[in-house]
Amino acid sequence: MPRTLSPSAHRRRAGCLFCVPGLAFLGLFLAYPLLYTVWTSVHDVELGQLLGGEERFNGLDNYRAVLDDPAFWHSVRLSLLFTLASLLLQFTLGFALALLFARPFPFNALLRSLLLIAWLLPPVVSGTLFRWMLDADSGAYNALLRAAGLGALSHDWLTDPSTSLAGVILANVWVGVPFNMLLLLVGLHTIDPALHEAAALDGANAWQRLRHITLPLMRPVSVTVLLLGLVYTFKVFDIVFVMTGGGPVDATRVLSLYVYEVFFTFFRFGHGAAAGLLLLVVPLLVGVFYVRRLRREEETTAGGAV
Amino acid sequence: MSYPVDRRGFLRTTGTAAAALGLGGALASCGSTKSGPVTLTWWDYFTLDNFQPGMQRLINDVEAGVPDVKIERRTFPFAELDRQLALAAISGDLPDIAIVDNVAMNTLGGSHLLADLTDKVKKWGQADQYYKGPWDGCQVGGKTLGIPNNSNCLALYCNTRLLKSAGVKPPTTWDELASAAHRLTSGDRHGLALSAIKTEEGVFQFLPFLWQAGGDLDTFTTYGATALSFLHDLIAKGSLSEQCVGWTQQDVNTRFLDQRAALQINGPWQIPTLKKAGFDWSVVALPRDKAAATCLGGENWVVMASSKHLDKAWQVLEYTQRPSVLVPYLVSFGDLPSRKDLAGQGTWASDPALRLFLSQLPVARPRQYGAHYAEASQAVAEAEQAVLTGTASPSAAARVAAVKIDKALGR
Repeated sequence: MPRTLSPSAHRRRAGCLFCVPGLAFLGLFLAYPLLYTVWTSVHDVELGQLLGGEERFNGLDNYRAVLDDPAFWHSVRLSLLFTLASLLLQFTLGFALALLFARPFPFNALLRSLLLIAWLLPPVVSGTLFRWMLDADSGAYNALLRAAGLGALSHDWLTDPSTSLAGVILANVWVGVPFNMLLLLVGLHTIDPALHEAAALDGANAWQRLRHITLPLMRPVSVTVLLLGLVYTFKVFDIVFVMTGGGPVDATRVLSLYVYEVFFTFFRFGHGAAAGLLLLVVPLLVGVFYVRRLRREEETTAGGAV
Repeated sequence: MSYPVDRRGFLRTTGTAAAALGLGGALASCGSTKSGPVTLTWWDYFTLDNFQPGMQRLINDVEAGVPDVKIERRTFPFAELDRQLALAAISGDLPDIAIVDNVAMNTLGGSHLLADLTDKVKKWGQADQYYKGPWDGCQVGGKTLGIPNNSNCLALYCNTRLLKSAGVKPPTTWDELASAAHRLTSGDRHGLALSAIKTEEGVFQFLPFLWQAGGDLDTFTTYGATALSFLHDLIAKGSLSEQCVGWTQQDVNTRFLDQRAALQINGPWQIPTLKKAGFDWSVVALPRDKAAATCLGGENWVVMASSKHLDKAWQVLEYTQRPSVLVPYLVSFGDLPSRKDLAGQGTWASDPALRLFLSQLPVARPRQYGAHYAEASQAVAEAEQAVLTGTASPSAAARVAAVKIDKALGR
């Protein structure tokens, strides 16, 4: 038997070895909890059964119970509404700001870094900040309106069930805009300025250049930004939890808060696990779509380089 | 510049780290198997600084008074303790003793997590020394699953000067409360403040109204509607701020301290803060309608069924109930005793505010509804919020809630 391995086998073995930490990490912190959740979701698990280990297999009963719960569907609707509204506003404002910051002007870098603070703040902090600002009596929002003599426009954003979701979306948009702006700004810098110059020479005005050069060339970046945003926004928890706790009534109980309640307020672990896995469906689909796109993009750029 | 790490170096480093971890684990496990005094783990949620001297003293007393026992205490934030117990139940890492919120007896009591203390308590023979509400709150399905640690309840705080200048006497009935709150409302000051937040805290404040109306959770359609429409009228008249759907009891107390509320419903734990207020206040029983009632708060001692030292844990609990141990502990916490035989001792015998709260314990009812009370509680909270924010009428909200309550409580 040869004592020395061929260089390629050697490299392969080293490669496998270097994979071990990563695989161990994934197995321990991703696969195991996920499989445990799947197991829980098909068993009748409540606080009472935990010690005795009397969890009974109950097939899809938990899923059925969750899907039959009107509160679940209400939270799905809220999550979708929250996600779509947040993405739309974040992206539009982020794009507008990116276009602004793409051109040189005094204090550009300073202002850009200041804007990023919103994104760097922990959601608990920004959530608390917005809860105070939107507070009916002592909040900055209403105080400003009153000071400007527009007291009639003041509104109790977070304690009115019809506007509390809008209040939470507002806070989430504020947090998300800088992130969108930053990624889009990077995208804008990759567009060859020569294209704009050529178009300008041909007599295209600013709007036409935006419409026919910037927007089409920004498509790949935009899709990435939107997909990432969708995944982040759909599973939002902290900012809503801090601002409203899902209330008033159930006006802001998004899917993640619903799952949290079933788990940690009602201690119905089986239902909670089922609902949690259902919560994963949307981000998972988006994730698969995103990874496939990335791969296709890599293939086309790699093909282009050859 | 690069720093190549060869394979051997990498293995050496990780190997050392792994060995160190293994060694640490081995040492730790040695520590727990050593003989001698029994170490009891003890969980509670008294995290605030001002509780620590009293708690330390109690633990010192226990370690000195109960032979061969050492207490290993761990604290959690209030809202985390139940969750930590649930997680510990999954991992099998439960404490021996815990001090839990009395409302937790619903979830924990239905879970087989708590040790049955019935026989031990019978032998002890002191059950009749406790007020009925706190004691009943420890009985689940005919078994004694805990003993009261301390008790509190809700009452009505009055801003003396504001009441005097409005010519209003402290209200004793719902009608008097409504008219007093109305007359005390002016400018940005509301007559009454209470908490209607969408958590157990809000339900704790709402249930007295339901009970005073003559009902309970099983008759929510009728009496829930009565209680809800009483609160609805207070909001409609401006006597109560609609903002109360977002207020914790702490927020309510802040309103009262700022004199933006002339009356507030709150508990005895606010007394130390209120003593620093720049105005005079008094505290009276909650106004009654058909019945006089208030909601029982406070904590219970429980022993976990998984404990390997059940007898030792019970000895500890029994020891804490001696007046010489219990009275200083309760005094330092500013708590009230759950025992009638202690009524004549401690600060609550002399302080008029504490004495009023103690006098209400006989009408304080525990929230004792069974394992799925949390779901019923949420239905109540949502009904109250829907009515107070004007999204549903009292009768409609009560009907919707009653269906959910019946389902949760299995009626």
